[in-house]
Amino acid sequence: MDTPYAIEMLNITKRFPGIIANDNITLQLKRGEIHALLGENGAGKSTLMSVLFGLYQAEEGIIKKDGKVVSIKNPNDANDLGIGMVHQHFKLVQCFTVLENIILGVETTKNGILQKDEARKKVMALSEKYGLMVDPDALIQDITVGMQQRTEILKMLYRDNEILIFDEPTAVLTPQEIAELMQIMKNLAKEGKSILFISHKLNEIMEVADRCTVLRRGKYIGTVDIKDTTQEELSRMMVGRDVQLVVEKGPAHPGEVVLDIRNMTVASKVHNNNAVKNVSLQVRSGEIVCIAGIDGNGQTEFVYGLSGLEPLVSGTITMLGKDITRATIRERAADMSHIPEDRHKHGLVLDYSLEYNIVLQRYWQPEFTKNGFLDQKAIRNYAERLIEENDVRSGQGAITTTRAMSGGNQQKAIIAREIDKKHELLLAVQPTRGLDVGAIETVHRNLIRERDSGKAVLLISLELEEVMNVADRILVMYEGEIVGDLDPKQITVEELGLYMAGAKRNTVKEGA
Amino acid sequence: MTLLIQYTLIFASVLLLVALGGCFSEHSGVINLGLEGIMVLGALGGALAMKYVPSSVPAVVMIFVVSLCAILMGMLYSALLGVAAIHFKADQTLIGTAMNIMSTAAATVIVKAINVAENPDNISSAITYTGARAAFTVRLGNFEFNWFILIAVCALIISNIVLYYTRFGLRLMACGENPQAADSVGINVYKMRWAGVLISGLLGGLGGIVYITAGVSEWKFEVGVAGFGFLALAVMIFGQWKPKRIALAALLFGFFRALSNVYTGFPFLAALNIPSTVYNMFPYIISLIVLAFTSRNSAAPKAEGIPYDKGSR
Amino acid sequence: MNGKDSFFRRPGVQTFLSSIICVVFGLLLGYIILLLINAKGASAGIVTLLKNYMNYPTRPAQMKYLGNTLVKMAPLLMCALSICFCYKAGLFNIGAAGQYVVGAGACLYGALSLKLPWIACLLFSIVIGALWGMIVGALKAYLNVNEVISGIMLNWIGLYLVNMSLAPVKELASPYTQKVAAVNKAALLPSMGLSSLFSKNQYVTIAIPLSILTAIVLWVVLNKTAFGYELKATGYNKEASRYAGMREKRNIIITLMIGGALAGTGAAFLYLTGFEEWSVTQSSVPGMGFNGIAATFLGGLSPIGTIFASYFIQHITSGGAYLDKAIYPSQISDLIIALIIYLCGFVLFFKTVMNSRRPAKVTSNANDTEKKGGKAQ
Repeated sequence: MDTPYAIEMLNITKRFPGIIANDNITLQLKRGEIHALLGENGAGKSTLMSVLFGLYQAEEGIIKKDGKVVSIKNPNDANDLGIGMVHQHFKLVQCFTVLENIILGVETTKNGILQKDEARKKVMALSEKYGLMVDPDALIQDITVGMQQRTEILKMLYRDNEILIFDEPTAVLTPQEIAELMQIMKNLAKEGKSILFISHKLNEIMEVADRCTVLRRGKYIGTVDIKDTTQEELSRMMVGRDVQLVVEKGPAHPGEVVLDIRNMTVASKVHNNNAVKNVSLQVRSGEIVCIAGIDGNGQTEFVYGLSGLEPLVSGTITMLGKDITRATIRERAADMSHIPEDRHKHGLVLDYSLEYNIVLQRYWQPEFTKNGFLDQKAIRNYAERLIEENDVRSGQGAITTTRAMSGGNQQKAIIAREIDKKHELLLAVQPTRGLDVGAIETVHRNLIRERDSGKAVLLISLELEEVMNVADRILVMYEGEIVGDLDPKQITVEELGLYMAGAKRNTVKEGA
Repeated sequence: MTLLIQYTLIFASVLLLVALGGCFSEHSGVINLGLEGIMVLGALGGALAMKYVPSSVPAVVMIFVVSLCAILMGMLYSALLGVAAIHFKADQTLIGTAMNIMSTAAATVIVKAINVAENPDNISSAITYTGARAAFTVRLGNFEFNWFILIAVCALIISNIVLYYTRFGLRLMACGENPQAADSVGINVYKMRWAGVLISGLLGGLGGIVYITAGVSEWKFEVGVAGFGFLALAVMIFGQWKPKRIALAALLFGFFRALSNVYTGFPFLAALNIPSTVYNMFPYIISLIVLAFTSRNSAAPKAEGIPYDKGSR
Repeated sequence: MNGKDSFFRRPGVQTFLSSIICVVFGLLLGYIILLLINAKGASAGIVTLLKNYMNYPTRPAQMKYLGNTLVKMAPLLMCALSICFCYKAGLFNIGAAGQYVVGAGACLYGALSLKLPWIACLLFSIVIGALWGMIVGALKAYLNVNEVISGIMLNWIGLYLVNMSLAPVKELASPYTQKVAAVNKAALLPSMGLSSLFSKNQYVTIAIPLSILTAIVLWVVLNKTAFGYELKATGYNKEASRYAGMREKRNIIITLMIGGALAGTGAAFLYLTGFEEWSVTQSSVPGMGFNGIAATFLGGLSPIGTIFASYFIQHITSGGAYLDKAIYPSQISDLIIALIIYLCGFVLFFKTVMNSRRPAKVTSNANDTEKKGGKAQ
């Protein structure tokens, strides 16, 4: 125990066919510290942690625990060494209780029968010690995201893990929940736990971490002490250049009302309440209206209701003066383009070629279908034009299977398709999700260009920075209601956070 | 009336055993459409045991040996599903269908080969087991009690305990609901799915032998098990993958099957003059209606039918 | 080097090779089973099985019995096309077996009870088959009922229903329905002179060319039309096709109706030739629909491939009848077919093996150049 390091990952290299995900990376975690791992999407953070957690085996390099070389072949080995992980997508069984999820894999039994009461006592003790409030007998499917995350943390503590990995833990939380989590992490470190905190959010790292290791495109860039560094420096290390965090845009010139939603209510798919409650809003041509909010506050259902994927419980939608409340998806699409939230689920048919995906919204139009037969030549020509104009990169051009393309290029293809199609309203739902900084800039510029050409843009975003930079008007959605109608120029991020967390509201509910 | 109760109980036992088998497989995440085939092979194993074990052995020994052979054959056959579905990511519907076709063909080929070897003029696919069958039953007045009814009840109690009160059950169901989560806490998903599939082979095989000894002393393997495996599937769905409800569903469906066999014994039913096919049809129609009402919020294991790939975590 | 590699990487070639592997392994296992039963006759047995109609010495006899194989291929192909078509839209139509059953019931009821001419009987089968498929489709579209489960339930409901409705037109002395040729000659499908090509085999009718024509039409529909584009998009990604404004529920119902109509037609293509009668006491669903699954997968899920796969499967099924019954049970062919279906489950694995056979280094280089090429565009 003569080393201060709990875990050392030395010169780790991990290759996948065609790419080197981790190229000679070193990461040393001291006992009792909070160590941030910073990098953009695709920088190799997740791969490195998967190596530490035994999900992948590194081709080169060694891992040391308390100075001794160890071999981690699977999550069991990692667990035996006291390494635990809160995954970005929680690994919880929905129809099990909190308690059952915590004990799964390390159950105590007597004569073959599960001993849940003992386990419950231990869980309650841990939950009190670290301030992790949970109801052990609630089903996962019935509890909030915050409580699910606390369940994941308790899973690690229940196993007496000493090294805790948090993989992007704040992405799904409200600012207030984030503050709570930060406090929990500090408590854990104080009790001697060593924490690895994976993030690309600089302010969180500055607040909570002791040291920070930065990765870029699979390479090790450096490790710095947080007290000796600044956000700007970290940002430079992360992207390799100065990032222009503010998008250039002129003032908006709102015109006619394009979209007018009155008292929209949409049912939820997961619970019995309505997910969207009595929402009214207007979007005018030439402005970007942004609906901000924490994930899961009804945005998805709102989009489904607006695009026609789900029926409304009540309310009306008027577009360009026409009532489209009961119109089909295709009728609405005549004037509405929709960049969907989940490009793999909704935006693309991954097994179709790029050209087939480019005509996904238009294949039936006379331009591409004659007497029921597809005009392959017209489709090819059209696809090639859009690919060219939007710099969509792929292995074999128009005939590439979409599945084989990178996420950024898939998104480019969707945006190209939706913008080229006839529309007055552009509905963009988290259009930058999973993209790197360069691609995000392009998307933002596209949105502003749309606005400047007189289209109405309705942006749904979870990223505070995006909301503040791109929007002309911000509507905050909380628990299915619009709780704030704000001007981005007159509001701080902190204030916006209060609205998003439901602590503040400025609009009076109509008809309540 | 006694006959109706007797048939109901024995058919319900068959359905209960096989449906519980399906239940284990599905809770582990593998859809087992091959239950019908597993039953046929289990029946074959048991029938061969009855053919070769002298009927003079004590009843307990006979029951034990016959059950064991049926179970082993069932488990062996279910391994075909295990290999394909767990390790080779095969389409489980396709494999189940193949197993059903294969079972009848294989059983017929085997029995005919045995019969022809014994007597070149005997090209039938039947095995007779009059003597051995006597070991399974006890006469209580008019009522013929079958020991397998007791075994089925035990299987129900044990299944309920295993699924809801043991470590194994918790882990099994985790694999059927969210295999990624199970894997992340060190549970070997492949091993648990094998366990689920083999248990379905065990119970399915047992169900097979119970079925062919339910009322007759000779079985023609060309006819398979006449859709009982599929009926058990319906029972499992009707029971919403929960052992206790499966037991009730098995009783109900067993009752309809029994009615189709003995309804002529009831003057008022015979007077209605409904053909037996109607009673046979009933369970399927009911299942379809239940499916229609429950499928929106199905209680089926969420990850069933999806091959698990360690790489896609 | 690249030429050969890229040849084996072509999806069509891989599909073909995978099917060949399934067939070879299936036959090999069948041969081993023959060996186990009786080693002496095994080689002759497997040859007999494969020769089928060629077991006859004279050409006219051969043609006649080739005709018989084709007569039974037509319904098999229709069932296979039903499953293939639905599978392209992401639906596993295991209910084809039941749609075939009700199709059989409809045409025989039409021919024997109602004494309708063949065209009406055929239409009756199509409509009833489509209706049976529509039930599966509607349950799936509106109530989210898994099509495999509802299909299985409807298979049995259909079986009992048909047994019941054909009971009045069965022969007195046997469980089989009356002969169509004896009761209502007008209900027999016309031969249009085809039977003379097959040594006056009276069972050879327009059903055979019609089934092949259907396969070609389906290929065109799937690959060249906007409807096919929609169906395949739905099959690949249901959510995305909804997002694109395709009417998913309507498409599911239409697809299964077409599937049902195809399987129903298949039944008419057999029972309206008079080749077989229906036994009203049968207690299990006829295997035609399930064998169709074999033909679909063996045919590489393509309507054209399905034609050849259907022929092959019927060829060895018919071949099984020529085995010496005193030594080998004729169910050997069923066993081999079942083995082939089982092996079809491993096609994904075969393809993975074919794709990974190249040395790792070459692969990564190729990928690199591909990527660079992509960027340069």
